[in-house]
Amino acid sequence: MQIRDYIIRRLMVLPLLVVGVSIIVFALTRIGGSPIGIYLSHEMSQEEVAELEERFHLDDPVPVQYFYWASGVLRGDLGWSGVAAAPVTDVFLPKLAATMELAVSSAIVAVVLGIALGTFAGARRNRLPDHLTRVFSISGAAMPLFWFAILLLIVFWVYLGWFPIGRSDPDLWARIDHPTNLYTVDSLIAGDFGAFRDAVWHLTLPAVTLGYGATAIIARMMRSSLVEELQEDYVDAARAKGLPERLVLRRHARRNALIPTVTVIGLSFGFLLQGSVVAEIIFQWPGLGRWMADSVLRGDQATIMAYVLFTSVLFLVVNLAVDVAYAYLDRRVVLGE
Amino acid sequence: MNRSPRRGRWGAFLGIFLALAMIAAACSDGEGDDSTTTAGTPGTTAGTPDTTAGSSDTTAPPTTQAPSGGEVNNPGVFVHAADDEPTTLDPAQVEPGEGGETMILQVYERLLEIGTSGPEPVPSLATEVPTVENGLISADGLTYTFPIRQGVTFHDGSPLTADDVLFSWERVMTMDLPDGAASVLSDVVDSMQVVDDSTFEVTLQEPNAAFLNAVVPAMVSSIVSREAVEANGGVVAGEPNEFMSGSMVGTGPYSFVAWNRNENLQFEVYDGYWGTPANLDLRVEIGANPDIRVLGLRAGDYDTIETDPSFIGDIEGAEGVTIFAEGLTVEPIHIGFNLRIPVDQLPADDNIPADFFLDPRVRQAFNYAFDYDAFLRGALGGFGDFNPHYIPIGIFGYDPAAPVYNQQDLAKAEELFRAAGLWDTGFSVSVVTEEANLFETAALVLKDSIDDLGNPNMTVTVAAVAEAVFDEAHATDPVPYAMWVKNADPFADPHAYVDSYTHPDGEWGEIHGFRQGYVDPDGIADLIDRAKVELDPVARAALYAELQPLLYDDPLWIIAAQEGVVSARRDWVQGFVSNPLWPRPSLKFALMDKG
Repeated sequence: MQIRDYIIRRLMVLPLLVVGVSIIVFALTRIGGSPIGIYLSHEMSQEEVAELEERFHLDDPVPVQYFYWASGVLRGDLGWSGVAAAPVTDVFLPKLAATMELAVSSAIVAVVLGIALGTFAGARRNRLPDHLTRVFSISGAAMPLFWFAILLLIVFWVYLGWFPIGRSDPDLWARIDHPTNLYTVDSLIAGDFGAFRDAVWHLTLPAVTLGYGATAIIARMMRSSLVEELQEDYVDAARAKGLPERLVLRRHARRNALIPTVTVIGLSFGFLLQGSVVAEIIFQWPGLGRWMADSVLRGDQATIMAYVLFTSVLFLVVNLAVDVAYAYLDRRVVLGE
Repeated sequence: MNRSPRRGRWGAFLGIFLALAMIAAACSDGEGDDSTTTAGTPGTTAGTPDTTAGSSDTTAPPTTQAPSGGEVNNPGVFVHAADDEPTTLDPAQVEPGEGGETMILQVYERLLEIGTSGPEPVPSLATEVPTVENGLISADGLTYTFPIRQGVTFHDGSPLTADDVLFSWERVMTMDLPDGAASVLSDVVDSMQVVDDSTFEVTLQEPNAAFLNAVVPAMVSSIVSREAVEANGGVVAGEPNEFMSGSMVGTGPYSFVAWNRNENLQFEVYDGYWGTPANLDLRVEIGANPDIRVLGLRAGDYDTIETDPSFIGDIEGAEGVTIFAEGLTVEPIHIGFNLRIPVDQLPADDNIPADFFLDPRVRQAFNYAFDYDAFLRGALGGFGDFNPHYIPIGIFGYDPAAPVYNQQDLAKAEELFRAAGLWDTGFSVSVVTEEANLFETAALVLKDSIDDLGNPNMTVTVAAVAEAVFDEAHATDPVPYAMWVKNADPFADPHAYVDSYTHPDGEWGEIHGFRQGYVDPDGIADLIDRAKVELDPVARAALYAELQPLLYDDPLWIIAAQEGVVSARRDWVQGFVSNPLWPRPSLKFALMDKG
């Protein structure tokens, strides 16, 4: 099957999967009880509670509530977030952008360092650089994210004062337009290098924290794949025909070693999104993860539903992208069979 | 082969990106911003691009030399780290004790305000505090006249008139939102009128001793810009105004700039303020974990933080940090007895009958059993005090001579449980609380206290639940638990406390069925009702002094403690003043400066 046909087929199935996921999640959230609690204060009378239930259609049967919610989603209305005290749709996109900016930055750190370290170690198997890289990699995987984050926070924010927390200097943020809500991109569009530096400066600690954990996994996978590839006959053949070791590595072995590594990178994106919850809370990053954590703790079901819907779609799309990337890298893979 | 160059370009791009990040980091070691305005310069307008503190092309933490020779972080802007995100910024929608009140206090003003010290109201948008002597309160105590200050403008430029005052109060009562506090006004006000542009008159339903210090300065009584409201959705009965929920147009020293959800609220100095202007712009960082707030204070990025006594140990001795621990909040932490227990809705392990708390000896026994010292010295770190039933220390009517439960007396508790016939039969009862805060600790102390009695037949189970779950249970009538822990809402007048929390027909009196539990419900109701309309302070204080021993003998709550006011700030903060009668964290940032 052609890649294009495969993508179209998967995209056609996507809405059905999303609807199925949304029904399951909606039902599960309602099993935990009515979502009215987030809109209540402890001083409300029964009549006032009833008024609010009517305002949010929570006095209707659950299937009817789902209908209201689903039809609202189709109109772009994801409900009212009790935690953010605003419509979910008003808050969601800026927070999504913040999380994506952090996740992508972390992924860049993880991929660049992971592949570089993995290649470096794999090409020097069982020598000192390989051992040192292993120590570095395993440390990243072994250290709990929250602990590493707090460590960096205390050292680089509290004691050294080199890096801030939060997402931006509010004054610098305010002086540029935000067409994408991605601070780095917006600052470049605005041609404001000061704002760009501010964006990168604020990104550094959370991106390094998140990226380091994923770096370890990618580096280990890259190293072991490369070690295997370097033992293959085609590598011997390349060496035999006189190619320099640098080219053997770069043009032959590394490309093939990237195939399993790409799969790990795709999975790592999920790790980065999940890890962003911890990083966002600790570094005061105003993204979806922190909002979601507050929402779960306080029972803000409108926000939870929006988040689950989003992550479902995202994982389905990322999954698709990984499959396509896999086929692109390895022509032997036949999609759809 | 032909894809290699593209990979090379990507590699180069990524390399440049990382290099930029490292260069930015290397450059960010605190180089000063030459264009910064020295902290403390009045009228500084940080937040206005290119002219303000911290707004030039620097990514280093902006610092400036303070007059004293030290450095301050974030010059030109006062940064406070708050606990809660507001649920609304609309005075018509906010409820007492909610995070939005803190913001409303900074931006809106009222006819009268609670001053920097004490509970007495002081003039604000009204130029005088009405009294019978100055002729602004009628002889029958029903009509109050407020001379409205001239030359005041809202942040949208519109002038303040008596019509705005009428509009603001009518708006609250017309909207009458379930999530607001309209009843603060509607329960008291009979009619209102604009006498002329500078005179506003209110007639009450009955004389009310709490009107001037509890109703007029309440956040719900804030004066909003009629022009701004009418241009943005107007007033609809029963419907919140989305513009006003997320924005503010008041007359105060700060004007609203932005509310970045889950991140911060930003305010700037209002240049057209009629009174003493604020010194610095204001940013309120929202929702940081308490530990992060403490670290932020130590890092110098926050000038003040909201905290509770349990975090003081993390701050004590930190360089550049001052701890403020004076006075008491006016929100006693209480454990409620439900006298209308819905037995069929109780947790499965509870085995108490519906009339469990009707016997005053049982309620007294719980009061004697509670380990007050453990709660005060442990959870509150010693920052707090005990107050009698039920007027907090610092509020008019508090009687230091009134009897108070403040010592665990297990022998007395056992004696009372035996007398009530519960010692041999025992009981199992659950107490519901929000999880992971002081309330849960109070519940755990109660559980330990009952365990201290050494009777295995008597057990207390702590049901710690999420805030939303607690609020839902708390708003249910009857409450589906026999006991619960919370704190009182803050008020400036004793009537609000005794009416809400002790009156047999008051708010909680009805929900919990106090009338069927009190030995003399009519006597208690009579004292409370008489004190409400008694305008002579001496006679009124005498009524409260008579009431408090009755409430001690016939307790409807365990008052665990009155929490101390505790906050922490950087040493460079000047003009720090706190009044527990202001909404938490009891600070007016416009009064403060840095340097």
